[in-house]
Amino acid sequence: MKQCDLCGKGNATVKVSRLDKEGKVTEISICTDCARQRGFTEVEKLKANNAEIITELKSRIDEGDSKLVCSNCGLSYAEFKRQGRLNCAECYVSFHDQLVPLIRRIHDAVQHVGRTASGGRKQAQMKMNAQKLREALSGAIQDEDYEKAAALRDQLKRSEETE
Amino acid sequence: MTPGGVVGKWLSASGPEADVVLSTRVRLARNLADVPFTHRAEPRDHERTIDVVRWALTDTGYMESGRFLDNEQLADPRGQYLIERHLASPDFVASQAKRGLYVGNDEATSLMVNEEDHLRFQVLASGLDFPEAFTAAAALDEKLESQLQYAFSPEFGFLTACPTNLGTGMRASVLVHLPALVITREIEKVLRGALHIGLAVRGLYGEGTETKGNFFQISNQKTVGQTEWEIIETIADISRQVITYERKAREYLMKKLRVEVEDKVFRSLGLLRGARVLSSDEAINLIASLRLGVALGIVNEINLEQVTRLLILVRPANLQVMLGESLTAAERDERRATFVRETLVHA
Repeated sequence: MKQCDLCGKGNATVKVSRLDKEGKVTEISICTDCARQRGFTEVEKLKANNAEIITELKSRIDEGDSKLVCSNCGLSYAEFKRQGRLNCAECYVSFHDQLVPLIRRIHDAVQHVGRTASGGRKQAQMKMNAQKLREALSGAIQDEDYEKAAALRDQLKRSEETE
Repeated sequence: MTPGGVVGKWLSASGPEADVVLSTRVRLARNLADVPFTHRAEPRDHERTIDVVRWALTDTGYMESGRFLDNEQLADPRGQYLIERHLASPDFVASQAKRGLYVGNDEATSLMVNEEDHLRFQVLASGLDFPEAFTAAAALDEKLESQLQYAFSPEFGFLTACPTNLGTGMRASVLVHLPALVITREIEKVLRGALHIGLAVRGLYGEGTETKGNFFQISNQKTVGQTEWEIIETIADISRQVITYERKAREYLMKKLRVEVEDKVFRSLGLLRGARVLSSDEAINLIASLRLGVALGIVNEINLEQVTRLLILVRPANLQVMLGESLTAAERDERRATFVRETLVHA
């Protein structure tokens, strides 16, 4: 067996890589005594720690996944991961940030191109109309035109119902 | 429903490249914005979905040239019959939920309500014909959309129960017959090209089915990030390459192994004309060989349309619906042999 690069006596059983400021990596082989003296943590122990850290992180992710729920249907992200299917259109909004990397993995893309739904546009239009009504309503209240405000309030209510 | 002996126009073998390509299919998946996805929806949601889709089909005039089948009409053998005709998926037929199926009179267009997605509709065309299939599918999409509120996001496109169908919600496929590439053992090399660019290759009845009779289905897997026409062009390009290779392999066989090919074709024809008992699998393999013979001009008394139609009509449920009887497997094999024999004798 190779001798320790530092003391030249013991068997070199530990490999140490060092990265210098220029990004150059030098590797030396040293004995366990020298390794202990210089405070290099034993490899075995490191591995065990890593495993613990991974388990810990995983459980934290799982916990996060079950706490993350769709605001519309209550599906948790953990449940989605089990069943592979979402429960409603709103799930795509609730899990947006989690789904983006997943969708990229499946399709190599995230942004849809191609046919669009004018229904989607219709909905956007409806939201915009509602916004305008709300502005008009607060204007009417400020002007103390309560008759107009009442009419606007009813109109707004109807538009929210059909949304 | 069309009488048993009649098949959809997509089986007429009249489309482009019909010697190699049986059919082209474009399927779109759509969901209603305000209803939970099918697997999560309540029975009353299922019923409501069926109602609104049915209304949309009526309002847009589609119901005038087609039929709407409910749960009862989807029970066996009708359900199996529809699967064999590529008009409904096995999962859809097996489902316990309230469903609905629209089938156009020409059996080119069909629409499943409450499959994995609320709406899954498709158009089948004969041969390699994406312009025909996609134009018709897009037209139906537009008509439906004027009546329904689809679940759609500008970022993710059409929202589907499973993220694998997101975006365009489109699955485009061609069904190709590649016997010469199988015989010359070049099939893997040729299909690898399709797999390499992210397309899927499957058997005659889609996912998980074997490539019986040397029929292969090539389809897209990715549905996000490309327009419908870009996806279609990719599949059409690969299909044209595959067609060229298959024709070259056929030429090679006719030059170098003519006797062997003729022997195979005429043995198949002999068996089909003489057998008194024929299982579905055996029939399909023999008909597939015969189809190669017809495409190569080895057999002239039968045309491509007749042999293509046979492929569907010999399936268990189609046979029973055509004969108007419920039969055991043994009875079927006998009646199948009689039907095939009579068809080919009178051809």
